Amino acid sequence: MSQTAAGIAAGVLAREIGAGARLIRWLEEGDPRGRDALATIYPHTGQAHLIGITGPPGAGKSTLTNALISEQRKRGRRVGVIAVDPSSPFSGGAVLGDRVRMQTHALDTGVFIRSMGTRGQLGGLSRATFDAILVQDAMGYDVVIVETVGVGQDELDIVSLAHSTVIVSVPGLGDEVQAIKAGLLEAGDLFVVNKADREGADALTRQLELMLHLREQTRPSDWTPPLVHTTALTGQGVATLTDELDRHLAMLKASGGFAACLKERNRHMFESLLQEQAARQILAAALAEPSAAQLISAVEQGDIDPYSAAAQLVGCISLKFS
Amino acid sequence: MTAFANRRLRVLLAKLGMDTHTIGVTVIAHALRDAGFEVIFTGLKQTAEMVANTAVQEDVDVIGVSSLSAAHMKHLPKLAEFLRQKGAGDKLLIAGGVVPLEDIAQLERAGVQKIFTMGTETKVIVDYLQTWWAAKLAAEQSGG
Repeated sequence: MSQTAAGIAAGVLAREIGAGARLIRWLEEGDPRGRDALATIYPHTGQAHLIGITGPPGAGKSTLTNALISEQRKRGRRVGVIAVDPSSPFSGGAVLGDRVRMQTHALDTGVFIRSMGTRGQLGGLSRATFDAILVQDAMGYDVVIVETVGVGQDELDIVSLAHSTVIVSVPGLGDEVQAIKAGLLEAGDLFVVNKADREGADALTRQLELMLHLREQTRPSDWTPPLVHTTALTGQGVATLTDELDRHLAMLKASGGFAACLKERNRHMFESLLQEQAARQILAAALAEPSAAQLISAVEQGDIDPYSAAAQLVGCISLKFS
Repeated sequence: MTAFANRRLRVLLAKLGMDTHTIGVTVIAHALRDAGFEVIFTGLKQTAEMVANTAVQEDVDVIGVSSLSAAHMKHLPKLAEFLRQKGAGDKLLIAGGVVPLEDIAQLERAGVQKIFTMGTETKVIVDYLQTWWAAKLAAEQSGG
């Protein structure tokens, strides 16, 4: 396999999974070749239907994703999947096990599944994930599914900036609706009660209906989020969910929402890159100031409060961006 | 190199065929995670081709096969062959579990680069991978 940016970009556009996987890795690791290849493939992005799937641990997101892949394949679509799992905050390592539930598709050349660890870099998760989505999009996958536990701002950004955001819940977690964090309830375009054959599914459904009704009262919209019951393990309800996803996509395309969503995602990526690069340069400039060391030790000693110290240091930075 | 601040070893752990013993592979997965590696697990009952496809999709550096069902001579050479076929012959293929010493030479000829036999401490495997990874990174840097 070619190891140049041009070679990998050509491979991505020729829909070679190996090239796509390598480019995702470069982008995730900050390899400069990744940026060059991304610039080449970028004009070929913007076509895929991006579906975000989130919900509490144990809700059955991976199993549901697996069933969704099967249904989308039945409908003749090629499917990309980005499965995000948490990295250990202690070692930085991770055990990524989402794809265990999806290995039935390992021999299907129309399916490309990529696991990602959250790695804990500042603002880096959403960027790395959006990069991976761009790669699969450029490879011509009709549908790209991002699956993640919706905890933290980064992960919320990822799912809420998808075209169709699916919130999965299950009966039996105690206060069921508590498990759906405030931001997620607002972000959801489709709601799923998975493991719907289990006891408590009816009670969960009633609670969700109430919450969605309240949401409708405060934030009226043209789209009423459907509530779908599934048993992902058997595939029960997954065709209905896919119908609803198709209906949502058709609505987005007719209303201009598809383009608007893409615009918002592009802007988000641009702003987070800007923030990251600007923060890095400003921080480096601040720490290079002669007074920095003295101020840091004064803060540590408690001789000056951190607010005043930060203001003082920022005041004497002279920025020269290269 | 600051440009590669996020460089991290990725390992695919796999179970082939009807081998359903999971304790060993679970212990290894946790040891590798604690060493700071990213571990992807295939789950059970994989064919050699499924594992090779997964290694390509995940762009791992290392494929580690746990074998406790005595079918290593059947699966491992086939996996090595599939990896070469799919352009992933440059990835490190290692194995561990119940492998008689007299099989090792033949497996090595087939492309399995290292075999850890029963009773190997996890630290030995972590050290081996860390050394291999450091050498790979050094080669990348000097090779440009």
